[in-house]
Amino acid sequence: MSYYDIDSILTDAEKIPCTFQLEIPELGYLDNQPGQPLKAGSKIALPLWLAEMLAIANTGGDDQAKSFVTFDLPAALSNEVVQALKADPRAVPLRDQSPHLYGLATHMMDLSEEQELGVVLRKTFVTRASEIALHARKVGGTGHNKGTADEGSNLGVGGAGEEFLRGLEEWERKLFRKAHDGAKAGKEWMENVKKR
Amino acid sequence: MPMYGDLGNKLVQHAKRTQNLTHLPPYQTELVRTVAREVRDLERDVTSMLEPFQGSFDPSAEQATACTLLVNHLSMRRDKRCLLAYHRTRTDKLEELVWNGYDILDLSGQQQAGGANGATGMNEGGTTSSLSPQEEDYVRQYGDLLAAYKGHWTDIDLTGSLEPPRDLFIDVRVLKDAGEIQTEYGAINLTKNSQFYVRQGDVERLIAQGYLQKLG
Repeated sequence: MSYYDIDSILTDAEKIPCTFQLEIPELGYLDNQPGQPLKAGSKIALPLWLAEMLAIANTGGDDQAKSFVTFDLPAALSNEVVQALKADPRAVPLRDQSPHLYGLATHMMDLSEEQELGVVLRKTFVTRASEIALHARKVGGTGHNKGTADEGSNLGVGGAGEEFLRGLEEWERKLFRKAHDGAKAGKEWMENVKKR
Repeated sequence: MPMYGDLGNKLVQHAKRTQNLTHLPPYQTELVRTVAREVRDLERDVTSMLEPFQGSFDPSAEQATACTLLVNHLSMRRDKRCLLAYHRTRTDKLEELVWNGYDILDLSGQQQAGGANGATGMNEGGTTSSLSPQEEDYVRQYGDLLAAYKGHWTDIDLTGSLEPPRDLFIDVRVLKDAGEIQTEYGAINLTKNSQFYVRQGDVERLIAQGYLQKLG
């Protein structure tokens, strides 16, 4: 999670629903109405890099200091999704919710108390990680002839796991690629040893 | 709904694609320029917004202005991060390529179809470089730096292959005219489509650059 991390930057571009708490004359363009004031109570989806600071910064001064915006959980982390994950983590194509789902959730948990979300996502990741490892090994293992080896490098298309693998979000994809490359490299090494 | 930071995001998406490529795609001159211009515009807005306050701006009294300032500030910060990350991704790639034995001529002539087995660029007659002038300068200086560093150890080729060779001598086919090279056993004239049985160490770099193809 460095400053230069591309995936971290892309995660920060994920949008979350925000509600402005005060009228701001200059910011109408955020609500697609440049030149008009942005009214208090306007609901706008803002990227994390903007929403996070606007939600944390308070307007200062008096005792009832409040934030510029309040925010809700994005649709990707809505109750429906969480319920589906509880039922079967493997059945939910996370990528369709958000390509950076875990990163997004981490940000949201930093911003608010979402105890349950953390528990559900931890279980989700663990369950899916073993499934990912399983598929990664399968693809690496069938790489005897050239055709399937090429397929393997192409994120394991074909076969029963296709649907599941298509639904992996970015972090999981990385995991899959690492597991797959590892299995493949190990296999190649073993074959070389036998030859000698 | 176009908003500040959107273009920066485009740059980062370019960077994301770059990470998975073996070659370096063309430098996004126009996009970089537009993002830099966006930062300048934001900065100008901030200055003009603060002007009436004569340095005595009180955020709690002027909440709406404070919020606008914060949004502008965050947008600038975001743009900066996108710009830096984009360039850093590219310089990382360039350093890697320099370590792999490419030099400035290979890289500046390099076209889209770099491919895994070397620069197929080097086409005579004005192919446009995928590097910005600053990047070309970077590669040149980084190459010098690496050469100076390698100079400390004359017995070891730091950029040589890590794979121990199975055979000292190999068959190679010449893919492109590479002129005459000197070896321990005399000079060889590498003309296109000819084949030679040569010492691997002598031609390793030419193979990496795509002049020669290893056979068998």
